[in-house]
Amino acid sequence: MTRKQLKKRESRVVHKKGDVCKLSELKKGQTCKVLSMTNDNKALRRRLLDMGITKGVLIHIKKLSPLGDPIDIELRDYELCIRKADMEEIEVEVVD
Amino acid sequence: MRVALVGNQNSGKTTLFNDLTGSNQKIGNWPGVTIERKEGHIRGTDIVVVDLPGIYSLSPYTAEEEISRQYVVDEKPDVIIDIIDSLCIERSLYLVSQLIETGTDVILALNMSDIIDREGVSVDVEKLSKACGCSAVSISAKTKSGIPELIEMLEKHTYKKNKGLKIFPKDIETLIGVVQKEPSAENRFDAIKIIEKDPRYAEKYVSDEVNSEIENIETKYDMDSEQLIASLRYDWISDVKGSAITLKKEKRSVISDKLDKVFLNKWAAIPLFIVIMAVVYILAVGLVGSLTVDVMDGLINGTDSLELNLFGASWEFEWEFTGLGPWLADLLGSVGASGWAQSLVADGIIAGVGAILNFVPQIIILFLCLSVLESTGYLSRVAFLLDRLFHRIGLNGKSLIPFIVGTGCSVPAIMSARTIEDEHERNLTITLTPFMPCSAKLPIISLFAQFFFPASYAWLVTFLMYIAAIVVIILCAWVLSRVFIKNRTASAYISELPAWKAPNGAYVGRDVFDKTMAFIKRAGTIILLCSIVVWFLVSFTWDFHYIEAFDPEAIEEAADVVVYTVDDSLLANLGRAISWIFYPMLGGNLSWAASVSAIQGLVAKEQVISSMAIIARTSEEAIFESSLFSFFTPWSAVAYMTFTCFSAPCFGAISTMRKEFGSSRQMWKAIGFQTGLAWVLASIIGLIGMAFV
Repeated sequence: MTRKQLKKRESRVVHKKGDVCKLSELKKGQTCKVLSMTNDNKALRRRLLDMGITKGVLIHIKKLSPLGDPIDIELRDYELCIRKADMEEIEVEVVD
Repeated sequence: MRVALVGNQNSGKTTLFNDLTGSNQKIGNWPGVTIERKEGHIRGTDIVVVDLPGIYSLSPYTAEEEISRQYVVDEKPDVIIDIIDSLCIERSLYLVSQLIETGTDVILALNMSDIIDREGVSVDVEKLSKACGCSAVSISAKTKSGIPELIEMLEKHTYKKNKGLKIFPKDIETLIGVVQKEPSAENRFDAIKIIEKDPRYAEKYVSDEVNSEIENIETKYDMDSEQLIASLRYDWISDVKGSAITLKKEKRSVISDKLDKVFLNKWAAIPLFIVIMAVVYILAVGLVGSLTVDVMDGLINGTDSLELNLFGASWEFEWEFTGLGPWLADLLGSVGASGWAQSLVADGIIAGVGAILNFVPQIIILFLCLSVLESTGYLSRVAFLLDRLFHRIGLNGKSLIPFIVGTGCSVPAIMSARTIEDEHERNLTITLTPFMPCSAKLPIISLFAQFFFPASYAWLVTFLMYIAAIVVIILCAWVLSRVFIKNRTASAYISELPAWKAPNGAYVGRDVFDKTMAFIKRAGTIILLCSIVVWFLVSFTWDFHYIEAFDPEAIEEAADVVVYTVDDSLLANLGRAISWIFYPMLGGNLSWAASVSAIQGLVAKEQVISSMAIIARTSEEAIFESSLFSFFTPWSAVAYMTFTCFSAPCFGAISTMRKEFGSSRQMWKAIGFQTGLAWVLASIIGLIGMAFV
C-alpha cells in the first residue's frame, strides 16, 4: 500500500470518545483535550504554546476550509486557523 | 514620557493610537495590519505614544513581532498600555503575565467595551486590576469612551506601579528567585527566560546547581520547562478569569458564525470569492471607468460631445466645454506669453498631469472597495480558504492579502507580506506582488485596451489583465518554489480568524480620501516634474533649438528651410540608444517614443501614459493618432502593456522590496527576474504578432 493510500485509509477512521490520537485526525465538530506536544520544530512549538495549546486545554474543531486544509479550531474563547501538518505532533484525547 | 501600545494582533491598537494622537493610521480587520512601529504625541502633552505590531507573547515568531519584543524588552518604555480584546481575554492575559515580568508599569486597556454587553460577557474591571496588580481601564477605541480617563491617568501618573506580581506556584517562584541571583540574569524576566531555555538566552551562563534544579522541576511536573511555564501561566489566567469575568450566555457573535456558514461554505466559498472580486473590479474599472473617463477628459482637454459607454451600449450627449488645457493656453496667449510658454503649460503640464487625473474616479471606487474588504474581515477568510492551493505552489494563504492590497498599491502590499511566517513563502510573495496591476497601471491598461476592443468593451481587457497577472503569479510561484528553493522544510500557517465586523464608515471615508489625495498629489508633484522634464527634452534639440513644427510629416511642405521636428529632439536621441531593447515587443519597430515612455514607468507607472501624451502633444485620448505611436498594432499594444505591467515596479515599490528582503542582492534578483520575465513575455507576444499580421 502506498503512503497516499495509507493516509486515505487513516483519514476515514472516526475516533470515538476516550480515544488517543493526533489533533489532525479529528473530524469537524469533535472536541478533545491536549495531552502532549512532540514537536521538533522549536519555534513552531513555542508559537503553539503561546497561542494557548498547552496540556489539558480543550480544543473544538469548528470549521474546515472548503478545500479541506487548514482547519479552524476554537480554544480559549477564540478561533485559530492552523494547517493539518502543523497539528500532527499534537497528541489529544477525544472528549466528545 | 514614552508609552508603548502593546496587544494581541487585531485587538484594536491602531484604532486606540489614532484616538490618542488624532492621526489616521491604517486599520483593518486581519491580524497584522501594523507592521512597523509608529510614534505620535497625545495632543497638548509631552507624552509620546508608540504603536507596535501585534504580539501574542514576548517570544516573537515573525519579523514584525520582533520589533515589538525589542521595543518592550530592550528599549524599555516608561509605561506599557496593553490593549486587551475583552472577547478573548485568556489569550490577552497570557501577554499580560509576561509584560508584568519586564518590570515596566502596565495599564490594561479593556477594549471593545461596547460589544461586551451585546456578547454577554461581563468583566469586573476592579477585580481584574487587583488580580493582575496593575491599573485597568475599560475603553472603546471605536466609540472613544474611556479615552479621556486613560489620558488623565497617564498625565497625572495615577496608574499603579509594577510591584512584580508573582503568579507561579511556590516551588517555581523559589526557582525563579534562585536563577535571579545568578549574575547572568538581570531581572525576573531574564530569569524566567533562562528557565524556559529560550534560544535568545542560550549563551547566558548559569551554574550547574541551577541547571540541575531546573531539571528537578521538569521531572517533578513531567514536562519540559518551556511547556511548564506556558501551562502555569494559563493556570494563573484561569484563576483570574474565574474571579473577574462572568459569562452571561453563549458567547462569540452568532452573526459572525452565520456569515461564515455562507462565505466559508464548502461549495459556495470559492464561487463567492470569484464573484466578489469580479464585482469589485468590474465596478471600479468597467462601470465607473467607462462612465467617467470621457467626462474627465472633457473637463481637462475640452470637448463638444460626450459619449457614455456601458457594457456595449453607448449614448451620446452634446456638451460643449473648453477644457482646462485649451483655456489656460488661450489665457497665456492673450496676455502675450510666448509660444513655448503656452506649449509648456498645454502640451507639457496639462497633457502629462491631465492624462493621470482622468483616472481619479476609478481609483476612488477601487480604493473604496478594497477598504471595505479589508475592514470587514473577509480577507482573513480568503487567506484561510485558499491556503491549501497557495501552499501547493509554494505560497501561503496569507499571500493573498498582499496580492489583493497590491491592486491598490504595491508599497503597502509588499509590507503586509511581513505576517507570513515562512521566509521562502514571504520572499516569493514579495517578488510576485508587483505583478498585480496596481492602480497606477490602470491608466496604461485602459489606454491600450481601447486598441483591440471598442471602447465599450475595454473593461473586459482590463479584467483579462488581472486574470493574466494571476496566472503569471501562479506559474511563477510554482516554478520558482520548485527550482530555486531546495530543502524546503514544512512551513507553518497559524492565524487567528477574527470575527466579522461592519466597516466603520468614517474610517473608510478617510482612508479612501487619503489614498486618493496621495494619487492626486503624485500627479501634482512627481508627474508634474517629470512632465516638465519630458516636455523640455522633447521640445528642444541638442543645440537648444525650440522645435515648433512638431509633426515629422510637416517637413515636406517646408523643404527649403531647416525645420527641426520631434525626431531631432533630445528625447528622441536618448530614446534611440535604447530602442533596440523594445524592437521585438513592438513588432519589429524601433520607436524611441515608446522606449523612453516605458523606462519612465520606473518613476511611477502612470508616468508612461503622461510621457506618451506629452510626446504626442495631444490629450490622452488621441495618443494613437500621432504619427509617433500610430505603428501600434493590437499585438504590439498587448506586448507593450505586458512589459510595462510586469517589469520592475516603480522606485517606491523597489525600495520597499529592498527593505522587506533586508538585502540588496535579493532585491536585484527580484527586479531582474520581473524585468526579464516581462521582456520575454512581451517579446514573444510581439513576435507572434509579427508572424501573423
